[in-house]
Amino acid sequence: MAILEELLTILVAVGISWARMTAALIISIIFSLCVGILAAVDRVAEKIIIPVLDILQSIPILSFFPIALYAFIIIHPVIGPELAAIFLIFTSQAWNITFGVYKNVRLIPLELLEASKALDLSLWRRLSSLYIPAAFPGIASNLPPSWANGLYFLVACEIISIGEVEWSLPGIGTLSTSYIMAGRMIEFIMSLAAVVAAVILTNLLVFIPLMRLSERYKFEERAAEIPRVWIEKVSGWLSRVARRISFSVSPRITLFELRIPWKASRILLIAVLTIMVALLGHSISGRVSAEVTLAWAQDVVEAFQRLGVVDPLVMIGFSLARVSAAVAFGLLWTLPVAILIYEKRTLEKILIPPFQVIASFPATLILPLIAKTVMDLGLPLELGAFLMILLGTQWYLLFFLLDGLRSIPYEEEEVCKALAMTRLQKLRHLYLPRILPSLIMGLIVCFGGGWNTLVIAERAVLGGFTWDLRAPGIGRMLSIAVDEGDLALLIAATIWMAGFIVLLNRLLWRRLYEKAVRIVGVA
Amino acid sequence: MSGAGIKEPILELRDIVFGYKLRRGENIRIFDGLSLDVKYAEFVGIAGPSGCGKSTLIRIMAGLIKPEKGEVLFRGKPLKKPTPRIGIMFQNPALFPWYTVLENIMLALIHEKDLSEKDKIERARVFLDMVGLTAFESAYPAELSGGMKARVALARALVSQPDLLLMDEPFSNLDQLTAISLRREVESLWLNQSMPPSSVVMVSHDIEELVELSDRIIVLTKRPAKIAGIIEVDLDRPRQRRSPEFYKYVDEVYTLLS
Ligand SMILES: Nc1ncnc2c1ncn2[C@@H]1O[C@H](COP(=O)(O)OP(=O)(O)OP(=O)(O)O)[C@@H](O)[C@H]1O
Ligand SMILES: [Mg+2]
Repeated sequence: MAILEELLTILVAVGISWARMTAALIISIIFSLCVGILAAVDRVAEKIIIPVLDILQSIPILSFFPIALYAFIIIHPVIGPELAAIFLIFTSQAWNITFGVYKNVRLIPLELLEASKALDLSLWRRLSSLYIPAAFPGIASNLPPSWANGLYFLVACEIISIGEVEWSLPGIGTLSTSYIMAGRMIEFIMSLAAVVAAVILTNLLVFIPLMRLSERYKFEERAAEIPRVWIEKVSGWLSRVARRISFSVSPRITLFELRIPWKASRILLIAVLTIMVALLGHSISGRVSAEVTLAWAQDVVEAFQRLGVVDPLVMIGFSLARVSAAVAFGLLWTLPVAILIYEKRTLEKILIPPFQVIASFPATLILPLIAKTVMDLGLPLELGAFLMILLGTQWYLLFFLLDGLRSIPYEEEEVCKALAMTRLQKLRHLYLPRILPSLIMGLIVCFGGGWNTLVIAERAVLGGFTWDLRAPGIGRMLSIAVDEGDLALLIAATIWMAGFIVLLNRLLWRRLYEKAVRIVGVA
Repeated sequence: MSGAGIKEPILELRDIVFGYKLRRGENIRIFDGLSLDVKYAEFVGIAGPSGCGKSTLIRIMAGLIKPEKGEVLFRGKPLKKPTPRIGIMFQNPALFPWYTVLENIMLALIHEKDLSEKDKIERARVFLDMVGLTAFESAYPAELSGGMKARVALARALVSQPDLLLMDEPFSNLDQLTAISLRREVESLWLNQSMPPSSVVMVSHDIEELVELSDRIIVLTKRPAKIAGIIEVDLDRPRQRRSPEFYKYVDEVYTLLS
């Protein structure tokens, strides 16, 4: 009975967390439609939006959570933390969906655009009959990674303490952390299993049917591979239910037939915007004046002076070394595994579904477990940090590498075969050059994930106890600033970190990527 | 050159059975017991309706795919996997875009352990010169025209000095003038006893091209492909396309195809 009750508690917690995620996802989709379409159809907007998104994408989300939390508490002290959590999840989901929308709208064939101009469709009609259907595949294919991303941060933002004050939102992150802190292993494992089940069900019942439905709105000839194994290998009623749902949503709709009930959504959109503006106006009018702003700016400047120049650089150096070590290790196992999976089709059917489940499982859920185990067993603390970063990054690498390998043209494979190359020769002359662009993309995403994990991996306050690396690290600095409630210091450290990441992207990764694309030659 | 009936076979296909598995689990039969051979110093042309399995046949001859049943013998021994002794030129040149023209050709020398890097470069240059692309050795494939890419692919197929050259519609994507000059080059290379290859197999849709070059033309039927007929072309080289004898052969092939 106790177990059943506990199970119910877990399921309710998962439900609450999922509701939070759904709210954030809906906001993300609305945002991505507005911003992504605008960027795709307007040259000037594009010039502003794309670089801004690019920078937003590279700022570690967890570092500005406390800042957002403060802002939202100013708006409303009770629902503020909840709004802050949704906002944080939104920031982890929105950017890639927006890029997806932008890319797909850009792909609309010229003839269709001209046709819609010739028909002199109104803006709303053009949106509902052209842009939104065209954007749909970009949204659908980005849902699973966005959900996984959001889940990762959801767990991290359900419990947060700033200075003396601790907020914990009801949800699966809070619940599972409390289990691990209390040493209740069975309940902890049950909560992990519940998350896995919920992830699988969400993909099976919502995302995959949506992705299938979106196939029809694609302009490209070559349809991207939908992980068929997921839906087809899960036997019995689950897939039947999924199929039935996908059919009930999808009576064969063509591009021009999909009409969104615009009156309703227009009213909804206007209502949401009005509420947001009203809340913002209310909060700003009361509390923020020129004097206050000036005082704040002075605080931040003073925090920068406190930090100095050498210390942050040392911290960033240590953090960079940690992320690099984890990524290098990740590469060491994902490269051979990716090649193995690519070469043996049968392995793909067996390995990819579990890999996808594990990959979309939020590593943040196990962080408390790692922290506790490492500390209880007296293992080196750096090992714990290493594991945490590895868990947060390795899957990106695997999937990017697989993506690159799958893009190898069949003819090139055949040439290698005809030249009787050994596997090593093939690796050097075909695989490595071909996967170079995806490898670099994977590394960019991987390092991005790594920086994010740092904020927890180097130091985290988990319920009753503190996980602390006791060695320099920019993530640790952020965590300390949060702990001391020193918002100015937090902002200064965040700017250091984000600045470094943006610089690294611009000066290193972007250039490497462009070079790789040039070497491989876009056919 | 022609009517080389008494000569030894360099490549033998015996009772080849092969089919592709389609996604839905069906199996389409391409060959249901096909036998043919290619003799030393012979130029064999292969014709057949579209989709009958000509490319598949070339791949089986190269050892790229294994037949379900039957044997492929190369110089009397079973062919288990591709070998540098058989050069293959695909319909699509498929050059590696990240390597220069010269490097692409040198890739085919990857198994020549005895050759130093310098020797390899020299060898590659000889064949580059032969296809008339010396000036482009450090160009990248993206900078070449379709005809130039085909030339590089030919040089790559020949640089390992194979005994047998397999060509799958080698000239079909080229403009007339390029095709004419490349055809001449292939023919003179094959005629030259001291240079490889000894034998050539060419698949083509262009019947005049087949009559111009082949000693023997093997015409295949629709799927599953069987031999509809074999035509020995007994004309002196270089062959004149305008002569009435030439057209007699062209008509013969057409008759077999339809
Ligand atoms: N990898 C494959 N998987 C399944 N079926 C295939 C595959 N390759 C070819 N086929 C099918 O096998 C048949 C023979 O193909 P093949 O390419 O050998 O024909 P072909 O005679 O070269 O045709 P063409 O004259 O058009 O080049 C075709 O019907 C083709 O659809
Ligand atoms: Mg073919």
